Amino acid sequence: MTVKIFFPTCCSPSENGLLIGRWLEEHRSAVVLAIVHFPFIPGNVKRYLAGLERETGLRLAVLGTWSNIKAQKDEQMESFLGDLKSIFIHRPWLRITREASIIFWDCRIEGVDEEAEEEVVLVYYDQRKVMLSELHDATEHSEIATVFDTVARNRTLFALDRYDEGPIKLTHWQSDGVEASIIVELCKQASVPLCALLSFILSLIFSVTRALGRKPLSFLWNKLSTCEQLGKRLDSLQLICGTKAAKDHTLFMRKASTLVSLLLDVILGIVLMSWLYRGDHIGQLANALMPVADRVAVELQGLLQWLMGAPAGLKMNKALDEVLGRFFMYHIHLWISYIRLMSPFIEVILWYIGLSACLGLSVALSVLSDIIALLTFHIYCFYVYGARLYCLKIHGLASLWRLFRGKKWNVLRQRVDSCSYDLDQLFLGTLLFTILLFLLPTTALYYLVFTLLRLLVVLVQGVIQMTINLLNSLPLYALVLRLCRSYRLAAGVKFRMLQQEHGKCLRLLMQINPLTYGKVLQQYRLPSSNLYPKDSWGALCKKLFIGELIYPWRQERDKQD
Amino acid sequence: MEDRTFSDIEGGKIIVQERLFSKTCKEFNIICPKMSVRSVVTATFTAWVAAYAMYAYTENNMVLSATTVSTIIGLLFYLHFVKIDQESLLLIGSLGIQMTLTYTSGKESTEFIEMHKIKDVVINEAIFMQKAIYYLCILLEDPSEPKRISSIVPLFQSAKPNLNCLVQVYNSCQEILSERKSFNLVD
Amino acid sequence: MNIRSVWRKVLYERQPFPDNYVDDRFLEELRKNIYVRRYEYWSVVFESAVVIQQLCSVCVFCVIWWYMDQGLLSPQKLCEVGLGFSLIGYLLFDLVDHGVGRKDSGRTRWDDLKSSLVFVAFTYGFSPVLKTLTESISTDTIYAMSVLMLLGHLVFFDYGANAAVVSSTLSINMAIFASVCLASRLPRSLHAFAMVTFAIQIFALWPSLQRKLRAHTPRIYICVTFLFGIFAMGGLLSISSVGALLFFVLLLSVTFLCPYCLIRLQLFKDNIHGPWDEAEIKEDLSRFLD
Repeated sequence: MTVKIFFPTCCSPSENGLLIGRWLEEHRSAVVLAIVHFPFIPGNVKRYLAGLERETGLRLAVLGTWSNIKAQKDEQMESFLGDLKSIFIHRPWLRITREASIIFWDCRIEGVDEEAEEEVVLVYYDQRKVMLSELHDATEHSEIATVFDTVARNRTLFALDRYDEGPIKLTHWQSDGVEASIIVELCKQASVPLCALLSFILSLIFSVTRALGRKPLSFLWNKLSTCEQLGKRLDSLQLICGTKAAKDHTLFMRKASTLVSLLLDVILGIVLMSWLYRGDHIGQLANALMPVADRVAVELQGLLQWLMGAPAGLKMNKALDEVLGRFFMYHIHLWISYIRLMSPFIEVILWYIGLSACLGLSVALSVLSDIIALLTFHIYCFYVYGARLYCLKIHGLASLWRLFRGKKWNVLRQRVDSCSYDLDQLFLGTLLFTILLFLLPTTALYYLVFTLLRLLVVLVQGVIQMTINLLNSLPLYALVLRLCRSYRLAAGVKFRMLQQEHGKCLRLLMQINPLTYGKVLQQYRLPSSNLYPKDSWGALCKKLFIGELIYPWRQERDKQD
Repeated sequence: MEDRTFSDIEGGKIIVQERLFSKTCKEFNIICPKMSVRSVVTATFTAWVAAYAMYAYTENNMVLSATTVSTIIGLLFYLHFVKIDQESLLLIGSLGIQMTLTYTSGKESTEFIEMHKIKDVVINEAIFMQKAIYYLCILLEDPSEPKRISSIVPLFQSAKPNLNCLVQVYNSCQEILSERKSFNLVD
Repeated sequence: MNIRSVWRKVLYERQPFPDNYVDDRFLEELRKNIYVRRYEYWSVVFESAVVIQQLCSVCVFCVIWWYMDQGLLSPQKLCEVGLGFSLIGYLLFDLVDHGVGRKDSGRTRWDDLKSSLVFVAFTYGFSPVLKTLTESISTDTIYAMSVLMLLGHLVFFDYGANAAVVSSTLSINMAIFASVCLASRLPRSLHAFAMVTFAIQIFALWPSLQRKLRAHTPRIYICVTFLFGIFAMGGLLSISSVGALLFFVLLLSVTFLCPYCLIRLQLFKDNIHGPWDEAEIKEDLSRFLD
């Protein structure tokens, strides 16, 4: 039978006294929390422990005695300590003796049946780190988790120190020096009214947005990613400005991460803004925008001219070619004239849009994404026209091919059946089939070209959206915490063997094993919408072949509570 | 403390250090074969020949500097993340089992499994191509479902000691685990 | 061992014969060629007239197209002649069976007029499109496609045989496809209109009239077939004498040689029938359906 004693390293140099802590019966381990020094009145000690038990719900007891022999052995002290066993009844009773200049301590267990030899394992632990750390993947019956839990829940025990005036004088991790920071305390006090004010302002904003989010306008808001981003930012602000303190560790981490990423976002946005406004980059951008739009239109016209000729040696139908080409050119004309109309106002509009960067870099990026969508609206239109035409043609061809063979699609049975047609149906069907078949290469080529352009635009927008998602979901606070104070996020513990001597108790040092970076990211990722491709590759290719309109990205909200 | 030489499954030499701290506490330290100078030289040589060929073709200085930088970074990455120097297994009868991997650059990676999660330690047999390999593994259980094995943790995956070595480690593990069982039964 | 006992064709009794014993009654139930049809030479020749008709139709169609392409025939003349013949054929159609067929099928004259109007309107409307349809495709491709389609038309035509490969829809569709391909090669849209209309008349209307004639007046049918064949050969002769000669040989062989071969080869038939044949349900089981 082994008895394990978890002893805090900060209590090693302390004076003689009583060991108080918690005894875990099922694991046969004793967690020592503090040492009570002389002089003390046993009644006071018992009352204090009872008060602690009421507060924390954990049963603490006096586990044994601690004697730190500095000079030479004092027989009186030995007998006094021995008598204490009868006052504080606890089985098993620990007696730990330390002699100066000897590393190995003397640990004795008294009060158990003498049949079996008791082996004692002494495990040192850093009390402050264990108190502050959060153990991940803890299970029931886990000894280590219980140890951590015990130390963490007894914070009130650590409030009193041996230097305080009071009935009890304790030694624990605070004895090395009480830590507190005036600034942190002041911030904590000031944050409460600030949060109340912010939540009031936010509720006003929310009522306004709810009024704006009615039916006709909500369609517009859904299409613009800026509004989505602003909505998300408002949500995260609401999370931070809640006046209630975080109940548990996950909520606290989420709040902290949200706050830090929001701050980072705003800082990056302000940096971007200063760069934009300082060097008159807005003016440069506005001046560059017109030629770029013109260039895009000219390139598109060139492309259409190429298509109207004999592109890549393919056999195009002249008449249809001309019709389609002229139709699309007319659109480009409209677009160019629209841009020319807007050109004097571009700079002013950009100036005002640039102001939105102060709300955060992610908002600026979503504005950019929306601007790209607006500028390439004509490509989207062309794609829709081409796709609809092609889709119609493909469906017509499929149906007429069935007629050619003398078959029909049976809608009831969802299969192809034979059918006897009239002569005029046959004639008309074959005529149309021939016409559609010979016009297929032309339509297919236009469709292909515009689909490729559209896919390019969608790709660019997808990349921007992924960057925004990355900014939104990165748990910066958790990562920085893992970097600087790695003991706060513990995946588990590790033990190191200290110097051993045969015959004495086994000595181990328990250290905290921090969480890996990958696990940190996985555990503390902020909830954000993920960009999923809506279809698999096979389904996407099939849709492209048939001519259905594709919207390849799908935003999905993370379901997290 | 004992030092013994065994061989791993590919025939390389490994050194096994066994330390007995107490009746219920034992440590096994396996030192893997060192990184051979020959392989490093061969790899660097091949990389440089390829770089020179590219340089002769493109006349660009960047190729050579890029090769140098990438070779150094690759070597550092290999030493810090890939090449394992030592693997050790620490058995503490009342607390649990701890596995430590030490990389050549000095980095240590530790995993500790508590005793109540450990069901048993066994030697398992695997068939890989034409060979039958033996490996030691820990069977874990979920305390709420004691009949089911929840997962398997294989040990000494980089050192890959052969059966003789494994049998010794296995015997020591079983001694320590059996004490735990008797302890549970008594309770 | 009593070998005198009669061998019976059963497996569930132990018989005193060795395992490889072959009885005299082996294969006594074998019957050969019991379903062989006896053909009569001249009736087969008569039946072959259907094939002749189709071959001649294809030939006439190609000849007319050739003339239009060379500019020797004007589309107006073709339209007039075609219209005239269609009217005659229409009247003949009803006259042959004295109006019985019309009553049976339930089609009124108004229906016929509507169908023809639909044909003409659509063809006329689409003819400009048809003309420019295959501009960028090479002539060789067009010829190859048309030949393929016409061959397909001949293969899938319903000659009256009860085979699985027969599909009248497919054959008429292929013929129309070929005609549209060829019509798109002609100089002007009126030519295309005339060509397609002519194709409809010769591939859709002519066979149905011939079927009627064959059923009611076989003699006139033979005469018409003969004249049609002469006409086709004459047209082909004006283009190429070698082609005409080959066509004549083809017609002769289909009419006289093939029936002779068919009857001769019947002698070599060796069909085996017996109790091992697949069961055929001979009676009408629809009485079991409620």
